[in-house]
Order: sequence, then structure tokens, then C-alpha cells
Amino acid sequence: MNFIDVNQAVKQYDGHLALDHVDLHVPQGCIYGLLGPNGAGKTTLIRIINRITRPDSGTVMINGQPLKDKDIANIGYLPEERGLYKKIKVADQIVYLARLKGMPKPLAITEMEKWLKRFDLTEWRNRKVEELSKGMQQKVQFITTVIHRPQLLIFDEPFSGFDPVNAEQLKREIIQLRNEGSTILFSTHNMASVEEICEKITLINHSRVVLEGNVADIKQQHKKNLFVVNVANGKKIETHEQLFEVVPSQEHEGSLIKLCPGANLRDTITWLNENYTLTGITEQLPSMNEIFIDTVQGKC
Amino acid sequence: MNKLKLIIQHEYMTMVGKKSFIIMTLLIPFLILIVGSIPVLMAYINSSADTSVTRIAVIDESGNYGNAFKNSPNYRFMIMQGDKAFNAHEFYKNAGESIDAVIVIPADVLDNQQATIYSENTIDQGTISMLTRCLNDTLARAKIASFNDPDLESKIKQSQVNAEVKSIKWDEKGDEQEQSAQFASILGMVLSFFIYTFVLSYGAMIMNSVVEEKTNRIVEVIVSSCKPMELMMGKIIGVGLVGLTQFAIWAVLLGIGYIVLGLVAGGTIAATNPEAITAGMNLSGGTDMASGALHDIMTALASINWLSLLGNFVLYFIGGYLLYASLFAGFGSAVDQASDSSQFTLPIIIIMMVALYAGIACIENPSGPMAVWCSIIPFTSPVVMMVRLPFDVPWWQLLLSIVLLYATALGCIWISSRIYRTGILLYGKKRSFKEVLRWIK
Repeated sequence: MNFIDVNQAVKQYDGHLALDHVDLHVPQGCIYGLLGPNGAGKTTLIRIINRITRPDSGTVMINGQPLKDKDIANIGYLPEERGLYKKIKVADQIVYLARLKGMPKPLAITEMEKWLKRFDLTEWRNRKVEELSKGMQQKVQFITTVIHRPQLLIFDEPFSGFDPVNAEQLKREIIQLRNEGSTILFSTHNMASVEEICEKITLINHSRVVLEGNVADIKQQHKKNLFVVNVANGKKIETHEQLFEVVPSQEHEGSLIKLCPGANLRDTITWLNENYTLTGITEQLPSMNEIFIDTVQGKC
Repeated sequence: MNKLKLIIQHEYMTMVGKKSFIIMTLLIPFLILIVGSIPVLMAYINSSADTSVTRIAVIDESGNYGNAFKNSPNYRFMIMQGDKAFNAHEFYKNAGESIDAVIVIPADVLDNQQATIYSENTIDQGTISMLTRCLNDTLARAKIASFNDPDLESKIKQSQVNAEVKSIKWDEKGDEQEQSAQFASILGMVLSFFIYTFVLSYGAMIMNSVVEEKTNRIVEVIVSSCKPMELMMGKIIGVGLVGLTQFAIWAVLLGIGYIVLGLVAGGTIAATNPEAITAGMNLSGGTDMASGALHDIMTALASINWLSLLGNFVLYFIGGYLLYASLFAGFGSAVDQASDSSQFTLPIIIIMMVALYAGIACIENPSGPMAVWCSIIPFTSPVVMMVRLPFDVPWWQLLLSIVLLYATALGCIWISSRIYRTGILLYGKKRSFKEVLRWIK
């Protein structure tokens, strides 16, 4: 069952087509990556799901029902451009934003205390936001996004501005939230984090969906028949005209080979075993980063 | 509706809790009291501290007018007979420090009406005025005497008239009530200024708040929790309430300050020299006239229909504020920095200033065509109608004006909310007026 279904969304600004018949289907309880270069239309799509703007045409369904104003209480949104009231105290700010999402005040306060403790921010609760370090402000912003326990969380570049330790904590929190039942849509350029935590992705380029599906499937679809071959005694492997060519690479221990068109893996392994002492062979799948760049640059 | 209430509460509490608000709220009445009491204080200091004595030699060539000048605590006169051959400069030199100035009254002063004062120091204007007054009085008496008519003086006195046109207002039953046009004009102008200042300063405050939320980027989080219209209206209402709170505090503080200052200053001044104070405050006449004016003000106060005046004031106040504040919010959303906002605020400020000038011009004739038109046109009516309110305004004009004002205010809120919902989400380049108007569609 999908939690979000965006069907054929079109949005135009001042003669510029920001979304061109975009579809997005995010299953319940999934961590879903929304990828795309700058200006591709990700933020517009996110704003439509948030009801900040309306599509010119197309529909948005949440849990099988058309998206309504009341649904926004069930969405947590962390925008890419972080923003908090600089002059307002941390606690007042969190409670205000939680109440705007429809949380009763006493509950907002209890939840806030819990989250502040979790992020080691309790002693900062009565300080103004401008007195906090950037990393702490990011944490406060994260708390304001998740405090009302929304079923849908939208993170736009959640890791930017975090140091590796805090980014790791954030990642754990996101996975924890998913495990508790939230559906997570997250937009990023950080392909390493996509590989690590996203189950499915949609890649938007020039206002259109150009790639979508399971991360593992996409990697399979984009594999380039590359293998890392290890042989005994650290011998160098020579290119075989019919079966494979050796690709120069410093990154791997062993040799990187690319199967020739029409050659099959079984024949290659047999040949390698006959001519060398084969100790290992591993398929080299493309990284999401490569797939992203190739897709955006139109190489696929 | 709950969210609107929450936003209003948030805006109100945030603004009221600001140090700048607290300082301004407490400081302004204090400054007003200081500025207001400066003339009184100055007169007081002048009268109590001025112990200097100016010594003037009077060279009376005819021998008839030396008695024009009488010694006073600050002036000493030395009357001397002299003629054309008298060398005033030599006399002054010889006298050394015992004389500050020499006034020469020529023999033909009655015809030429001119005397001359000499000194090596600059003679202050106060001394010259006093000398001129004394000389004029004496010369006038001499002229009267030259007609050889013993009754002439009393005839002239009797012929001096100081007539006034008293303004009486009939109520529906024909009962008479005295009214003071002057007081009504001042009252109207005060109310007018009040609305003008409030709308401009709080409008600018709303604009800053909108720009700040946009610059902080928090606006995107907020509008993912509520409608842009709710945020805008919450801001307008919240800030409006802050303004009302500030004015209420000012009114109370000024009232208390006025009473306290009145008691303290009244006691001190009365014990010293009340005439110097009234002179210092440029009030001609003595305490009789002052108490007369007080009586006039009291009657004028009683002649005004306060209930209707205040009721209408509140209506125009709210209408005018909503109209302009929404425009400030709308156009504020179109800019990224407050410094870029002038192209949008300038037209609003010009309209407000036209309204203020129209208001000032209408004091002379609060029922004239300009006053009537400007008090009906919604953009000027909140300011101009204040000038007319203390005088009677036909009910149909009042009704038309209020209906138009509120209809326009609603229109402006609608237009501004359209601009606002687009503007707050657009960053980067500077927007032209034309582009912003396109967002209304």
C-alpha cells in the first residue's frame, strides 16, 4: 500500500515548467529518496505534498485519500534552507511549532523535554536560537520536524551542516522513525546516504521523472559487466580478445575486467581458472553516484 | 481558527517581550514629558536664575521722556539731560564698567519715532523689546496730551474693542451648548496624527517581521503548518494588538506623569514667580486669561459627543490599520531584505502623507469639498475624517466612508494575501512592481 501517490503533477511558474507530469509512489513505511540536480523540481514537488503550493493539474493522494488541509498535521517537513526564529528561546520555539501542527501544549512540552534530552540540548532550552552552534540549531530544527510524530516525514538535505558524528546520530534517528512506522521521503544530493538508507528512489531531471525503482534493482539495471578478479601470487591478468578486457584501475586489489559484449561469465571463469589460479571474482555494481551522473548527463 | 489565535498570541508575546519594545514604551512618555515641560522649566530657570542687571544711561535730549523707563530688578536706568553736541561714545568710555549701554532719545522723537541704543556689547532682543515698549507707551501718552483734550485718553480706552464670535450649538431640542472650534480642531488633529503615526510605524514593523521570517527561512516551515493567509492575518492582528497595548501604556503613563509633574511643578512655580512662567510660555495676559481658557476647554470638552467620537475613532483606526498593514505585509513578502523594500513602501508612504496634508488643510474648513472627498476616499479617510469628527459630519457621509474603508481594507487584505503566498516562497532576484502585481492573478 502506498502512503503517497502523486499522479501526473504539473506545476508552472511564470512560464517555466517546474514539474512536467510527475508521478511519485512512496510505499508505507519506506525510506524513499527523491533525487535530482538543483532546479530539477524536487522542492516544488515537496511543497505540493506539503500543501504549501497546489499543482496546476494532477492529484496527490495520502493513504489512498486526496490530500486535504488537515493532513498537514500528519506531515513533518525539514526544508533544505533551515530556518528558526533567531531571537526566540529554543523551548518556546519548539512548543510553538508543535502547537501549530496541532499538538496540545502540555503534550508538546513533554515531548520536547524527551527530544532535548535525546540530543543533549536540555541545558540549552532557555537560550535564544542565535546563541546555539549551527549543529545544535540543526538538531532543534530536526526536533521541530518530528515532535508531533507525523506519519510522513519529508527531509530536504537532512545531513547538510552536520558533522560526521551528528550525521550518524541523525541517520539512526531516521531509521528509528521508520521502524516506528513513519514513511520518509528524503531529498538529497548525498548519494552515499541514499545507498545506505534508501530503499527506493525517484530521480527527477528537467522537471520530469527519469528513473525510479528499488535501489538494488536500479543498480542491477545499470551494471556495466565489471568484475574484480583476484588470482594467486598477485599475477597481472592480460586482456582476452573474445572474453574480456582489463580496465586500468588503482582502486581495487586485483584486476578490474569488463566482459566483452556476448561473452558470458561462466566461460570467463573457466578460462581464468585454466590460465591462472583464481582465488576470487566479485561483480562491481555502479554506485548511485555514477548512476546519478550518467542519468543526468544523458549517458543512459 | 485555533491556528490564527496561536499565531496572534505568538506575534504578540514575541513583540511585547522584546527589549526594544519595553524600552520604547517606557522611554517615549518620559521624553514627551521632558519635551513638554521644557518651556516651563526654561521659564522657571530664566526667572529664578537671572540676577544680572543691565545698566543703561538714558540721554534725553528734550528732557521730556527720561521718565519713560522705570528701574526693575534686571534693569537700572540713569537719566541724563543732553543735547545734540553730547558725545555718547566719550561718555560711555569714561563711565567704564558702570554703564552697559547708552540710549539716546532725540528731541524730535515724537515726530521721527526713533531712538538709538549704543554699546560695545551686543544688546539682546529682550532688552530692545522692553525699551521699545516703554518708549511707545510714553510717546503715545505724549501724543494724546498734544491734542489738549482731557477726555481723549478715556475715549481711546473705551474705543478699544476685543470682540469675539461665540459659537453655540443647538441640540435637537434647541438647548444651547457652547463649543470651541479651536479645541475641536486641535482634538481632530491629534487624533489624525495618532492614526497616521500608528499606521506608518506599525506597518513598517509588520513589513520587517515578514522580511525577517523570509530571510530566516522559517516561513517555509510555518506555511507547511498553516495557510499563508492565517500567518499574514495573525501577524497583522498580533502586531495591531501590540500597538494598542503600547498606546494604552503610554496613555496611562502620560496621564500619571502629567498629574505628578503638574503637582510638583505647580507647587514650585507658584511659590516663585507665576508671571514669569506665563511670559516664558508665550501666553499673553495673566492668570485671569489662563483660567478663562481653562474654562473654555472644560466647556468644549463637555460639548463634544465623546461616545460617538471614540466609537468612530476606533472604527477608522481599525479600518485604516487593516488597509495599510495588509499592504505592508503583502509588499514585504516580495523582498528579501528590508533595505530593498523602498520601491514598494514609497507609494504607500506618499499616500499617507497626502492624507496627512489633506487633514491639515481641512482644519480651516472641515465641511468643505476637499474635506468631504478626502474623508470618503478610503486611503485618506482614516486620517482626514479624524479632523472632521469633532465637528458634525452628516451620517450618510460617515456611513459611506466607513463602508468604503472596510470594503477597501478587505480588498487590500485579499490582494496582499495573494502577493504574500507567492512572495514568501520566492528568493533571490529583486522583484519589479509589475511582476508583483502579476502574482495577484
